[in-house]
Amino acid sequence: MAHPLPRPETSGDAALILAWQSGDEQAAAELVGRHARPLARFLAGAGAPDADVDDLVQETFIRAFRSVGRFRGQCQFRTWLLTIGGNVLKDFGRRAARRKVLPLDEAVRDVTGDPHEHAEAREAEELLAAGLQKLPRLQREVFLLRAQQGLEYDEIAAALATTPGAARVHYHHAVRKLKEIVE
Amino acid sequence: MSDEARLENLAKRLGARAAERLDVAATAQKVVERLREQPVRRIVWVQQTWLRIAAALVVVVGGAVAVRQNVVRSHAAHPAHLVADDLSDLSTDELRDVLATFDQLIRTDSGAVPESSTDLHELDAQQLRAVLRSLEG
Repeated sequence: MAHPLPRPETSGDAALILAWQSGDEQAAAELVGRHARPLARFLAGAGAPDADVDDLVQETFIRAFRSVGRFRGQCQFRTWLLTIGGNVLKDFGRRAARRKVLPLDEAVRDVTGDPHEHAEAREAEELLAAGLQKLPRLQREVFLLRAQQGLEYDEIAAALATTPGAARVHYHHAVRKLKEIVE
Repeated sequence: MSDEARLENLAKRLGARAAERLDVAATAQKVVERLREQPVRRIVWVQQTWLRIAAALVVVVGGAVAVRQNVVRSHAAHPAHLVADDLSDLSTDELRDVLATFDQLIRTDSGAVPESSTDLHELDAQQLRAVLRSLEG
């Protein structure tokens, strides 16, 4: 069972959104500072190549700030941001497929620290990352929002325009499939 | 540790390195600069939307016109109308020939036609046209 992480400071987000809408650039920078790392984790977990995470984070924030007028507070700002990140990643995947650009091979990625320890630590993560790529997008996102970001089902459901029950079902399907893959 | 808890622990670590490598301050700066340089492209979006609507209208209206023309053409294909369209171009002798042909056809189809068709030679062009039009119904 996932143990939800402490909720981000949502009331502060609302004030910052209002400030940004009034033209306060510093408020936008503050929102980026609050949510960039969790967004990067989500994107990387959902399959973004490491080398592109920075660009994808920027693109997600740009889209979010431009459409923030459509954010009605149905969920936390961060959750809404993560769903936009999911869309940005999907578009990135389409463009990459058209250009036939392959993600960097794991073997040539930056490796620091003890190689043996590093390899052991990464093995299970790589299995999980590979398994996540085999899941349908909705199951993958529900799993990451729940297990990685520690969100409750009602929050996930609000962000993905589904019901908490359906989100729970997606999560359990994802866990069942991932267990088979990782084991 | 259960399998599910192990998966959740793994998931929490997933992407941690990418997040650590992210220079948050630089990212915030770049985002703000991009927002400043590229104002909301609402006008472009509106233009694209209108272009799409216009394209859809062209397809719908074009399709409707094509269908209508097909329907009109199928009605216009009736042979009697073609004859009527050409009447004004015919000379008196040509009109007599057409009537004689009609006469011949009618006589072949039905024996009930009177012999008065020989009087056609006494009619002028206007009268012949009137006879032809009456035959067209």
